[in-house]
Amino acid sequence: MRIVTDQVNPGAPLGRIPYVGEFSVIDSGSTDEALLAGMALGDQAAAVVFVRRYQRRVFGLAYSMTNDASVAEEVAQEALIRVWRHAPVFDHRRGSVTSWVLTITRNLTIDALRMRRAVPTDPDDFAASAMMSLEHNPEDAVLRGDVSDVVRAALAELPPEQRRAVILAAVYGRTALEISEEEGIPLGTAKTRIRTGLIRLRGAVEHSREIGEER
Amino acid sequence: MTDDQQQCDAYAESLAELALGILTGRARAATLAHVDSCAHCAEELEQLSRAADAVVSVAPELEPTVGFEVRLFNRMGLGDDPAPVRTIPDVGRRGPLRWVAGAPRWALASAAAVVALLVGLSIGWSIGSPAGTSQAGKPVTTAVLKEHGKAVGSVATYGGATPWMIVTMEDSSADGALTCEVITDNGVAHRIGTFSATYGYAAWDAPLKVAPQDVRTAEVVSSSGTVIATASLS
Repeated sequence: MRIVTDQVNPGAPLGRIPYVGEFSVIDSGSTDEALLAGMALGDQAAAVVFVRRYQRRVFGLAYSMTNDASVAEEVAQEALIRVWRHAPVFDHRRGSVTSWVLTITRNLTIDALRMRRAVPTDPDDFAASAMMSLEHNPEDAVLRGDVSDVVRAALAELPPEQRRAVILAAVYGRTALEISEEEGIPLGTAKTRIRTGLIRLRGAVEHSREIGEER
Repeated sequence: MTDDQQQCDAYAESLAELALGILTGRARAATLAHVDSCAHCAEELEQLSRAADAVVSVAPELEPTVGFEVRLFNRMGLGDDPAPVRTIPDVGRRGPLRWVAGAPRWALASAAAVVALLVGLSIGWSIGSPAGTSQAGKPVTTAVLKEHGKAVGSVATYGGATPWMIVTMEDSSADGALTCEVITDNGVAHRIGTFSATYGYAAWDAPLKVAPQDVRTAEVVSSSGTVIATASLS
């Protein structure tokens, strides 16, 4: 007869760093804002939960922009450290925690690409990997309030040239002039593509918000 | 058309660029000044900014490189707590539990390829390391995980101050909650922990808590108690 010893450990008490590698569910569903508030007060458990909640998104964004795992790790670590250090100054009135974290990551990735004079991922490849991760059909995404999937679906619907322009601007921080030079198009055309594309995405995002508010 | 409407139209193009954070110089200053005095354009800017922010969120979630979390927590100084630090091996390649659920298949395939490479390397290390002399970070044993005789993943055990193991699965029939058990030389089964597979894919690691060289078999068991896959580490 086999004797089974159960080595699963109970959860760690809040406030102390959880036993890394334990099997207990550490993320108790606190809001991002509550975790940031905890981090600002030096709560190590909050920092661990926050890192585990965001590390895949942060690393995923950096990797999608660079296609380089070592650069992505460096950027993702720096981004999460900055979030942890600056948690006390986060202002929820200026946007969501997710936007804040991803914007920090995006900016650090752009800096890393510039410093290394590295070639960023082509916007078409960035869009393709984003659309491959579309998990729900657009209507389901709207009903679920999953803004990422809503925008993935909306991006897929954009004409390719508008999609490129929006990604170059929103993700890689390229100005209209830089886009016109890189794409070999007149400045006015670059501006129109950016604006038209973004307005279409706005329609999808606002529609999703309206549905969410009705629920 | 009113003067106000004409003014708003003149800034329409700039609003999108302002929302995207790519408007610079005098154009930026002028647009900001207009937004300050125009409720309609302020609302327009808010909506465009939400859309611009959302574009960054479309990147797929990806599992960071192995050991990412340990390195990060060390940099953050969170490794100084006596309780957890002793549980983190001084190995750069090891992290806590990592689920890959929700990641796209190509990402999982990439992760699996990395693990396969690690396991491949580890086989080489095992050959070069006499039993019982392996250092922390070098695998003690590695084995193919099989389901009905078909290879569906791999298992590797590591020694050092805190022994640990890694299990990867791909293309197995498993889906949902699973338990990993190891059976030692004396026939005792030790439950190592639970993890979950998504469409047959999973990558997971955890403290082993028994000596790696004592482990003979690793089993992946379904929530109903059925042994789904086995790896013979002897």
